[in-house]
Amino acid sequence: MILAVNLFMLVLVLAPIVMVVWMSFTPAAYFALPTAHLSLRWYREALSYPGFVDAFGLSVELATLAAVAAVGSGFLAAYGLARFRPRGAALLAGFFASPLLVPSVVFGIAMLQFVNRLGLYNNLAGLVLAHVVVVVPYAIRTLGVTLRTVPEELEWAAMVLGSSRLRTLLRVTLPLSARGLVTAFLFCFLMSFSEVTMTIFMAGPSLQTLPVRLYTYMSDRIDPTVAAVSSLVVLISLALAIVVDLLGGFRLDRGQAGRAGA
Amino acid sequence: MRHDSAWRVAPYLLPLLLVMLGFYVLPLAGTLGDSLHPNTPAGIDAAHWTLHNYRRIADPLYGGIFLRTLRISVIVTAITALLAYPVAIFVARLRPRLEALAILAYISPWLVNTLVKALGWTLLLRSNGIVNTLLRDAGLIARPLHLMLNETGVVIALIPGHFMFALLPLWTALRGLDPALGWAAGSLGTSPGAVFRRVTLPLTLPALIAGLVINFIMNMTAFAVPMLLGGEGHEVVSMLAYQVNLVLLDWPFGAALAVVLLAITLLLIRVGQGVAARAAGAGAR
Repeated sequence: MILAVNLFMLVLVLAPIVMVVWMSFTPAAYFALPTAHLSLRWYREALSYPGFVDAFGLSVELATLAAVAAVGSGFLAAYGLARFRPRGAALLAGFFASPLLVPSVVFGIAMLQFVNRLGLYNNLAGLVLAHVVVVVPYAIRTLGVTLRTVPEELEWAAMVLGSSRLRTLLRVTLPLSARGLVTAFLFCFLMSFSEVTMTIFMAGPSLQTLPVRLYTYMSDRIDPTVAAVSSLVVLISLALAIVVDLLGGFRLDRGQAGRAGA
Repeated sequence: MRHDSAWRVAPYLLPLLLVMLGFYVLPLAGTLGDSLHPNTPAGIDAAHWTLHNYRRIADPLYGGIFLRTLRISVIVTAITALLAYPVAIFVARLRPRLEALAILAYISPWLVNTLVKALGWTLLLRSNGIVNTLLRDAGLIARPLHLMLNETGVVIALIPGHFMFALLPLWTALRGLDPALGWAAGSLGTSPGAVFRRVTLPLTLPALIAGLVINFIMNMTAFAVPMLLGGEGHEVVSMLAYQVNLVLLDWPFGAALAVVLLAITLLLIRVGQGVAARAAGAGAR
């Protein structure tokens, strides 16, 4: 009975993803489950459709910029909180994590109206900053844990020997946090790359990220091309997720993952 | 000393604080402000203040959309609540390697783009989709079932999509239980059912409640799945918000919708914390 419930749930969870990937290899001009022959026809189709290729480029650019900014500012903030332990540190940490609690629809509406007021509608900078806010909780969490594992004694030793705090940060703390920094970067990249709802609301017509382009295309029609593009998106996301997991990213985060997407 | 510390930490916190004040606090505050102004053909009339945008939400047309959203969210969260214990208990008892794999499988919808899942469900549920084809070939149905472009499709797709938000906290709580508790109760002659009711349930219910609150919020604010699997005539609040903000360009009303969604979210989190704390207190007794 309990086994049956689990198998049922696993089918529910995996079926749609498996279905998309399987369908993407169809040689037919419509959706038919390929059995005897697999074909890359729709992948060629997808890669020759400039709409998707351009959108992919934009998504990578956006995710890279947002992840770099989130990890950079997040590392400094996490360092400040962990090493100076200022009054209200817990409150500040809660504030930095709070975008997780704001529904994407709500933040999307707020950003849409905000960038319009600033004249930043359809502007990459506005979109990047919005993505920084969305992904920064993952950076703060990962880097906060990382900094707790970097022995503070080593930093003290460097400073006692006459190294300034800034120099110590750059020459001691930063190299010792390298693994955490890479994990945080990939985690943020993954989250920005997958972001759909907020971006649909706020991004202007010339800022169609890959998920937005997929959404627009799917609202209009569904053909095996979207299955091929979707499969590539799954491949990229899962590859990133596996690397993050191997680096220990989810283990740091697993207890909190339940609070994540909201 | 304290002042000195606050002064020295400032440069480290400043870059992120500026980004978050400028592009997070300010936009949300601006939305709250916009929601209190009347909309005019020329745009937002910032000189006047009104509650009109909030009163409009009570209009039967929009009230119905709110009710549908709540109905769908309640159904999905209720089914999730029923499935959570069987799944979490099973996963927590697996061998470590299998357990990690099972958890990865249950998390995968969180890692995979919502649109991909929506496409998958479309291929499965539409009238000439896989499910209907299988049922027809098995001779179970004569005509295709209407599994999507209605609330059924939205519910089916949302359940696995947001299941991990309830599963993960519950699974973590179950793993944290001391197995000796169960053995002790069992050796005293308590039946497995009673052990679950008297020991496991009170100790892990707060975690499940916390997870269900997140699950409910995610259901209530989902956008792509209801849009692609529900469609016209089955609007939920997020679809209404899209229409109002990006098609009708009535930003004050759109802002009011955002404020109400955020208020419900924060209220639910608050209430959830209270209920979970009370459940934890009852469990301790």
